[in-house]
Amino acid sequence: MMLLMLQSVVSLILITLGAVCSIKDSRISLAVSILALVIALPVAAATQLFMYVLLVVAIGILTIFSMSVKENQMSGVDYSLVALIALITIYIAYTNDVAFILAAFVIASVPTYALVFAGDRPMVDVALKYIVFMVLATVLFIIGTLMLTFSSKAGDPTLYTLGFVMLILGLGMEVGCAPMHEWVPDVFSAADPLPLSVIASITKIVPFVAAYKIILLTELPQLSNLTIFVAFIAVISMFTGNIGALTAKETGRILAYSTVANMGYVIATLSIVTSKNYLYLAFAGALLQLIVNAFGKASFFASIKTNGNSRPLMYLLALSFIGLPPLMGFWSKFFILTSLVGAGLVWLAFLLIVNSAISIPYYLRIARNLAGDTVPGKVTAIALVASAAMLITLIPPNWFVSVAKMIIGGV
Amino acid sequence: MLEILLIPLVITFLAPLMRPKLATAVSAISFLIPFVYTIYGLAENLVVKQPIIDIVKPIGEFYILGDQISFSFALAICLVSAMVALYSLPYMAHRFEEMGREFESEYRKYIFFYDLYATSMLWLVFSGNFIMLYIFLEISLLASFLLIYMYGYGDRRKVATLYFIWTHIAGMLALIGFLLVASTNGSLAFDSIAKIGFTAWLLIFLGMIIKLPGLGPHVWLPWAHAEAPTPVSALLSPLTVGLGAYVILRAYLISPWFIKKFMVPIFIYGVVSSIYAGFMVFRQNDYKRLLAFSTISQMGYCLIAFCLGTYGIMAVIIQYISHAFGKAILFMTAGGIIANYHGLRDITKMGGMHEYVPTISNAALLGFMNLGGILTVGMFGEFFILKGLVDTFGFDVSAILAVIFVFIISGLYSFYTFKRIYCGKPAGYEKVKVNRLLDTPLFVIGVISILFIFPPLAAILLNALKAGVAKILLLGGVAP
Repeated sequence: MMLLMLQSVVSLILITLGAVCSIKDSRISLAVSILALVIALPVAAATQLFMYVLLVVAIGILTIFSMSVKENQMSGVDYSLVALIALITIYIAYTNDVAFILAAFVIASVPTYALVFAGDRPMVDVALKYIVFMVLATVLFIIGTLMLTFSSKAGDPTLYTLGFVMLILGLGMEVGCAPMHEWVPDVFSAADPLPLSVIASITKIVPFVAAYKIILLTELPQLSNLTIFVAFIAVISMFTGNIGALTAKETGRILAYSTVANMGYVIATLSIVTSKNYLYLAFAGALLQLIVNAFGKASFFASIKTNGNSRPLMYLLALSFIGLPPLMGFWSKFFILTSLVGAGLVWLAFLLIVNSAISIPYYLRIARNLAGDTVPGKVTAIALVASAAMLITLIPPNWFVSVAKMIIGGV
Repeated sequence: MLEILLIPLVITFLAPLMRPKLATAVSAISFLIPFVYTIYGLAENLVVKQPIIDIVKPIGEFYILGDQISFSFALAICLVSAMVALYSLPYMAHRFEEMGREFESEYRKYIFFYDLYATSMLWLVFSGNFIMLYIFLEISLLASFLLIYMYGYGDRRKVATLYFIWTHIAGMLALIGFLLVASTNGSLAFDSIAKIGFTAWLLIFLGMIIKLPGLGPHVWLPWAHAEAPTPVSALLSPLTVGLGAYVILRAYLISPWFIKKFMVPIFIYGVVSSIYAGFMVFRQNDYKRLLAFSTISQMGYCLIAFCLGTYGIMAVIIQYISHAFGKAILFMTAGGIIANYHGLRDITKMGGMHEYVPTISNAALLGFMNLGGILTVGMFGEFFILKGLVDTFGFDVSAILAVIFVFIISGLYSFYTFKRIYCGKPAGYEKVKVNRLLDTPLFVIGVISILFIFPPLAAILLNALKAGVAKILLLGGVAP
């Protein structure tokens, strides 16, 4: 633990210094931000969380690189902000303290308020829309958490229900689940693709881990009656996302709706949070789906910026999103499906499968829109790393279930 | 066992690095080695079980299972894949030229996906776990989809997407079924499943009916099989669709109650789909589309045979082999005509083709003999269907007549088509010199399909099947 605290302090000092030094040269900040993430690895090496930390660090470095594809008005600071999000994504795995979880939720969200302005021509109206939604989401989430914590101690069922609903609404708004997804298509099609490669990817992990931990920490017996509410949100989100993506034309907009759909798959796992046998498998599926989403979206948005990327890599990422074995996207959906079926929600599993079939045409369209020649460069490197990550599950990812168990197991 | 299966897998990744001719030869050899091994396995009545990896609780162990059934399916897969690989070289050269692409670089891509496709099917029949099986099912879908998407005919992207969506739904339905099995049994390894429940069986069956396909969900098949590049059609139609029957067969061998309970409806459904598709064959004017409809008709045989007890199960397996041989030959003859006469597929413009391409015409005769079950391994298939029919339904005249009618239609459309295309008044083309690789592989398959009705091959196959199927059904589970 001491080592972890030491490392976190060092990392935070490093990224602060990096942000300051970026006035002189943004490359200092780039190097220092990556260093701050990399030193998290040896600290985690001894623990069972190593693979999770490794994946998050990889996503973090990937998104930092995608910010550096083109200079913007806050180059340097943006790398530090992304590194901060990545660090908090790592630390949330270690904690079971509600206050710290809430802090992590806020820290993962606030840097994006600044990042959304980055780009060639800042779209102030879109950025403001984004910020308003995010603030609302954060407030809902925090109040929901407080209500849950209080009522689980006091044993007040009405307040508990209200708190749970607010928590889920806040979570849904934060990550963009339908019907609270209004901001997603507008922001994703209008803002600059580079900050979006951060907003659409790494920032989605913390809210879900936080929600899982809080719900498990404050569990009351009537939780099993409430989870059906989550299942409905999941279904609405999947269908809105997939039908929206099917009918959208611009690549950015397709990706936005695809995020809505993906968040639907992930939130679906929260509906079986009371089933003790399948909880870990469900969480493993959710986390893996978030990681797939993070890798894929980061490379897709970076590729939009350069009007195309290496053809085979784009198709590989699209196929992983569709969920073809042995790519990572298959295992995430497979874990989700297994847990849903095992916990008795066969109808939800069935709807998930219908949706995964609907999604085939538009993922192929994304790949076709973005497919181009292979030119060595930063964006190709990003897609290459993401594709390599999709291929690590050639050996079935048993280990991921134990990682998931570690993250929420102590709760 | 595992080493033998690894050969084609390794070659898949090495072949794209070689020059086209070498890559083709190496790919073909990498499938012929397991072919020889499967015959050896059948002759020795081998039953192999090799663990690979143990997965988390509800999924269970992944292991390689080589029993008589796997060997028989693998026999067809290996031979057809090897021969079609040889055939691909001249055919794809023609196709790339037609598409205006550079031969060598495109062929590297092609041979990679081709090998991946064939290898995944080979691994599928040696999978000892339903999830492992599902994974290879999806890999084969992916590879075939990409091949159609890149090199197909007509509106290839749309057709490929149609194919992808239908078969993906099929696979996913079966996947839910598998997961239901997992949640009740705690494992998906074949040897630790006790019973498959109703919903699970229904989902697996429906999924595989789409893949097989039966009447109704068959809409995707004529498109996909007709518009795929011909070597891919020659794997899709003979090998891939029949794997639906393989999956049902595996489920049946573990827990046969579903098929037994709904025997009569499935039997009638099989007869109706076979007859309907048989009649549709007469109406087709596109050679490849015609063959696609004949596939639906032939897969109806498998559905019929499932309902007919032990002999029926033997018939399913033999039917798979004979259909694989026959349809592979026929698709390759269609491709031979396409390659030699610049995309000629319209049967109304053919006639007396025997004059121009005698070798291809003779091969087609062998192919149609396989479909009709005349003097080839298909003969045993029809024999066992009838034997099973009498054992199961007794001497039920209407059932026997229905099945005989199905057989007669197959024979009729086979020779009617042969007459339309290869006999009659010559349509007035130039006689061409057919590339050796466009006809020799066809004869190899044809000759082997005939050799299978004579000892020793016939004895090896039938004894192994009888031993394998009977033992498994007696135990009520999978061979250890």
